[in-house]
Amino acid sequence: MEFLSFLDVTFFLLAGLGALVGIIFGAIPGMTATMAVAVCLPLTYALGLHHGLALLLGLYVGGISGGMVPAVLLNIPGTPSSITTTFDGYPMAQKGEGEKALKICVVASVVGGLISAAVLFFFAPILADFSIKFSYVEKFLIILLALSVIASLSSSMLIGIFSGVIGIWLSLIGDYGISDGGNGKTRLMFDFMEPYLFEGFSLLPVLIGVFGISTILLEAEKGAKSGLVNERIKLSKGGYFSFSIFKGRLTNLVRSSFIGTFVGMLPGVGGSAASVLAYTQEKNLTRDSSQMGKGAPQGLIASESANNALTGGALIPLLSLGIPGDSTTAVLIGAFTLQGIQVGPLFIPENVDTWYVMMTALIFANIVMFFLMFYAIKYIAKVVMVPKHILFPIIVMMCVVGAYAINYGIMFDVWTLLIFGILGYLVQKIGLEVAPLIIGFILGSQAEVYFVKSLESFGTYSIFFTKSPIALVLWGLIVASVVFAIVMGFKSRAREKMELSQVTGSTHTSAGKGHDRNND
Amino acid sequence: MESGLSSLLSVSIDFETSHLFFPRIISWLMAGLFVLILATKVAPFMAAVKRGERTLPILGESRDNFRFFGTLVLIVAYFYLMAVVGNMFPYTGYGFLIVSIAFVFLMSLLYLHDWRKKTIVILVINAIVAPSLAWFVLAKLFTITLP
Repeated sequence: MEFLSFLDVTFFLLAGLGALVGIIFGAIPGMTATMAVAVCLPLTYALGLHHGLALLLGLYVGGISGGMVPAVLLNIPGTPSSITTTFDGYPMAQKGEGEKALKICVVASVVGGLISAAVLFFFAPILADFSIKFSYVEKFLIILLALSVIASLSSSMLIGIFSGVIGIWLSLIGDYGISDGGNGKTRLMFDFMEPYLFEGFSLLPVLIGVFGISTILLEAEKGAKSGLVNERIKLSKGGYFSFSIFKGRLTNLVRSSFIGTFVGMLPGVGGSAASVLAYTQEKNLTRDSSQMGKGAPQGLIASESANNALTGGALIPLLSLGIPGDSTTAVLIGAFTLQGIQVGPLFIPENVDTWYVMMTALIFANIVMFFLMFYAIKYIAKVVMVPKHILFPIIVMMCVVGAYAINYGIMFDVWTLLIFGILGYLVQKIGLEVAPLIIGFILGSQAEVYFVKSLESFGTYSIFFTKSPIALVLWGLIVASVVFAIVMGFKSRAREKMELSQVTGSTHTSAGKGHDRNND
Repeated sequence: MESGLSSLLSVSIDFETSHLFFPRIISWLMAGLFVLILATKVAPFMAAVKRGERTLPILGESRDNFRFFGTLVLIVAYFYLMAVVGNMFPYTGYGFLIVSIAFVFLMSLLYLHDWRKKTIVILVINAIVAPSLAWFVLAKLFTITLP
């Protein structure tokens, strides 16, 4: 119980503040939990480890749940993970039941968050304990598995793998660190870059650039329209909330929470996958799904409990294996490194107090989120109206602070923001995937060390298959994820072909018409 | 047969060039995937572009050019000038403060759609208050290094 001495008033205030700021970020369309964490990073530089963690976890929980507000009120998912919330939330808001819908979401969110926190608490130490025996060979295979899972869940596996490989390639720029057993020589760059890039790109400026600056560029391209002026927000004209709505929906609530937790554990899979899966499961398994999509509370429950359950789920691989579960935890990994924590199998056994502090912060942030959203939802709903011309410049400014201060004042880190801001913009524009790229970037240099060291000590490629039974199990999982992707790819291609044949049928006629007109 | 396979798989890495071993594999992998994508994705896509069914990303899309390139220019100027002004007042963070005020104001103007006196007054207040607050909290209270 020694960890109790780390919990002071400031700790709880920071977790609460984090939740509030996170909710606000999540509630603004286009701003995500990842961005909230990235933009608020500089605040944690000056805080100690435990206070910093409180703030970051508060931001994470708040940011994910805040996305429900615009989803319900404006039919715009505030974060990608609240996409399925729009299906039933917006129809309810149109009926004047906005407040009721939001309160259902809030309750579902807190249940999802707490269930996943419980799973995290019991499961992460077990997984860490198991993975402690891993040698470099298994560690390399774990990274390979993580990347193949991400790639297989991308819209196209080939694109997913390619994006991941680009991320790894970018992470290799710089020296092969002596501290990792390398020879300290640089590669993948020209000599003139050496003063700036000797240690490669710093992780956090890269993340802030990809998630902060490129979002600004994407919005600027669309003209940064606020576009909400004509929307009238109807909160509560009829239909008040009561807890009896949840009667008979407990199975849905618990099932969706577990789905969310499980999807969160898969590395690099965003929140949208969790809520979509939970939503379709509810649709398949419920007795009456006729109202779903037209304003049924059960849809909201499925969607929101699943997407908040991500928080605990995504922390499991992060804390036990050192592999981030989603893009927000990818930023968290950077923040941990900054505080001198190396996440991985040894994290929990060696930092038991910090582990308990984290759990406390996570649970407390969920509770604060619940009370803030449940009782102040009317005021929070107004946040969706903040004009972008006020917000965006401030976000760029905070990105700069975050990048500049990270290594105590290096201007190149600020330029890294711009480089990766533009790169992130281009990547999204040409249809590559950001999540595998970032996970590849984070894991790339570790993958190199594990790979090269395994080969140096064993001298044969076959070691990756013969090292241990665990290695074979990991290969099995890798193959399974690839097969899964190929099967899914065939299915969606068949569907696409069907749609395409319909589309080409119609374009044929329109093209024909155009041709006729030209002749006229 | 067995020995042939194991000699095929055996590998020795020279420490002097070990920094190139993994990057070389990744570079080749990247190049291979790129060719594969060119063949399976890009080529059909370009054919569709030629037939006029699809448009090129970035080049063929409509875009608010003024705001997009305005944002890029402002950000470059912001980053550059911050260091220049910062060097005039080292270790104070004034470079950040002064240039941020100008940047926040100009970028707000760039994104503003309805130019009324009231909104411009709000912009000016925001442009002065937000950077000052950030500067005060971060540089003064938390003693974080700023340009």
